[in-house]
Amino acid sequence: MRKLFGIVAFASGLFAQIPVTDPLVVAKCSGCHSKDEKGNLSRISWVRSAPEGWQQAIKRMVRLHGVSLKPEEARKVVQYLSDQHGLAPEEAKPGIYYFEKRHLDQEKYPEVVRDACVSCHPYGQAMNWRRDAKEWDLLVNMHIGFFPVVEWNSFRGMQRGPAGPPVPGADTRTPVEKAIEQMKTDFPLETKEWAAWTASRRQAKLAGRWLLSASQPGKGRFTGEVTIEPGASPNEWVTRSTMTSIESGQTITREGKSALYTGYSWRGRSGANTNAVREVMMVSRDQSMIEGRWFWGAYDEFGYDVKLVRTEDRPVILATSVTALRAGKTTTFQILGDQFPTGLTVGDLDLGAGITIKRLGRQTQSTLIEVEVEVAEKAPLGPRDLAVKRTVAAGAIAVYDTVDYIKTASDTAIARLGGGSTAFNKGYMQFEAIGFNRGLDGKPNTPDDINLGPVKAEWSLEEFFAVYGDDDVQYVGTIDKSGYFTPSIEGPNPKRKFSRNNYGDVWAVATYKGEDAAKPKDGSPITAKCYLVVTVPQYMRWDQPEVAQ
Amino acid sequence: MRHLRAINKKARRIDDLQTATDGDVVAMQQNANAAQRPHYPMGCSIVFSPGWEVDSSGGTAGLCQPVERDLYDCYISCYWPAQVPDHLNNYPEWTSKCAAATKDWRNIDLVFP
Ligand code: HEC
Ligand code: HEC
Repeated sequence: MRKLFGIVAFASGLFAQIPVTDPLVVAKCSGCHSKDEKGNLSRISWVRSAPEGWQQAIKRMVRLHGVSLKPEEARKVVQYLSDQHGLAPEEAKPGIYYFEKRHLDQEKYPEVVRDACVSCHPYGQAMNWRRDAKEWDLLVNMHIGFFPVVEWNSFRGMQRGPAGPPVPGADTRTPVEKAIEQMKTDFPLETKEWAAWTASRRQAKLAGRWLLSASQPGKGRFTGEVTIEPGASPNEWVTRSTMTSIESGQTITREGKSALYTGYSWRGRSGANTNAVREVMMVSRDQSMIEGRWFWGAYDEFGYDVKLVRTEDRPVILATSVTALRAGKTTTFQILGDQFPTGLTVGDLDLGAGITIKRLGRQTQSTLIEVEVEVAEKAPLGPRDLAVKRTVAAGAIAVYDTVDYIKTASDTAIARLGGGSTAFNKGYMQFEAIGFNRGLDGKPNTPDDINLGPVKAEWSLEEFFAVYGDDDVQYVGTIDKSGYFTPSIEGPNPKRKFSRNNYGDVWAVATYKGEDAAKPKDGSPITAKCYLVVTVPQYMRWDQPEVAQ
Repeated sequence: MRHLRAINKKARRIDDLQTATDGDVVAMQQNANAAQRPHYPMGCSIVFSPGWEVDSSGGTAGLCQPVERDLYDCYISCYWPAQVPDHLNNYPEWTSKCAAATKDWRNIDLVFP
């Protein structure tokens, strides 16, 4: 019997709990989370999460349960728990967008969590935890205990009428029961990813020079570098970065600090005043690349997608100043990178069939090549690799003949009213239009279509007719030609019927203004639109800025 | 109406408007086959009654008019505890500075849990 119990227990993860060995964590938490003979603290030893997850739970311990922690103690507790009760990189990756503060057009989640969980917060809140089965059940209790209304607005199904007689064999579980079963299956405490990570992780050695490439919606791409130096402790780093806009040539310099959790989770801050950013990035397993988002704004709505690669003793291509080349044309552009050899000749560069490298500019820096290319009228359409000697940037440039249609970078967008009082800032939105070519099959909107990168467009707002006589477009705010939307102020608007707020739903419409705009195929301009919801402020901000140094 | 052709500019404009209106209103009600159907932006609460950032159709037309009118209720019943501070446990003092949110909305505070 005992043996049988052992097998069952192992299969259900009963032995996967993580003892707490840090004296500070034991001192601060074991008053309520009792310690067993193996050193496990109740609850805490049966859950794992990302630094933000721990920070949020600990803040609740302070807010509701009277735990007292000085900021530097809280930092140490979060560091320890994220390191020892953290997520493996493979576990963190699918949910990292939540901490990078990305607006996803459509969050991915299993249908069963829609009513029960995603009705209140993004799935990102739930999917960044790993727990044993009992802990998932206790989480449900926590929700019911603190927010009793959850029972009837989410957990037992929303707005259901009186139940009829049960259909024999039907699934009679409530939405929350189904959702929690899914969580238990998808996000258990014990996983092979975590076992592998804890077995093989090593101290991160990030000091050195890193090359930066980045892009910001509406502002184009940037290149530069980041110097990383060791900070006060093995998990702290000091940074100095420069980045130059390919479009404007303007350079921004930032100094910063970062914490590193679980051996790969970079949480930093850099820059000052209007250039201040928060950095959420993941270090690759081989520590040769760091990728993520640097963001700012009241709703973290502004940001760069950033990629850092460690400098090695070899050339690197970071970016090209154009992302598409037009067939039948001669174009001059720049290749930006690092350690390009001197004395390059046209024969050292290659962009594939139909593209002739005509001329190289005089090479004055090892980080820049200026090149003139001629693309044949009948050059095959599609993405091309760019080779500089043996260094290759795959799919760096696309060859196209016409811009056949454009798309907005996402299908939906959200902006928040604000600026009417001191507490709530506006939540802005920068739109971007992407050009497409119909591709080899000659048909637009098929998988072989060629993404040509951002194109020139002029933006405007149009009413979205949610109800007949809809007039939101007069109230929600303004958009400039470049696609920068500024929402109106929050608060009741006495000029609107029932003093409605300035909220509303509208279309943000891009009209293509690039080279092919003058000769549209069917006589009408090339346009694309994005559904924009301009809504009330968020009165709560679930944000854990403390995890960044 | 469809078989009549608009003959002057204004009539044509009304006609265009009608087409756009029908297109959007219908798109809200049906699904997959509409050319471009709006959906909820990520992170919006989809607990409807009437809804916090969006209503059950994914827009704002059905929200409280104005939201400040309903705020106190949301707060007391912790109806949207991820969007509006809850009175029950976490923020017993939240609305002490504004007795009537529709009038004193400038005093509403932002909360970082
Ligand atoms: C004063 C008592 C008290 C102390 C001290 C305390 N907690 Fe808690 N903790 C609770 C209570 C009560 C709950 C259950 C309710 C809840 O989840 O808020 C809980 C629940 C938890 C949970 C589970 C939450 C979930 O998501 O289901 C975690 C994790 C946690 N505590 C972490 C900590 C950590 C880390 C510390 C030490 C820094 C700590 N607690 C100190 C009282 C305490
Ligand atoms: C009524 C709205 C609501 C619903 C529905 C809801 N949550 Fe939550 N959830 C919250 C709020 C609010 C918090 C933050 C609690 C706090 O820290 O004060 C939270 C926190 C969490 C946390 C963090 C736990 C911690 O210890 O801090 C997880 C994980 C979570 N929810 C998962 C879920 C799952 C899974 C479901 C579906 C079964 C769900 N939530 C349904 C409102 C909701």
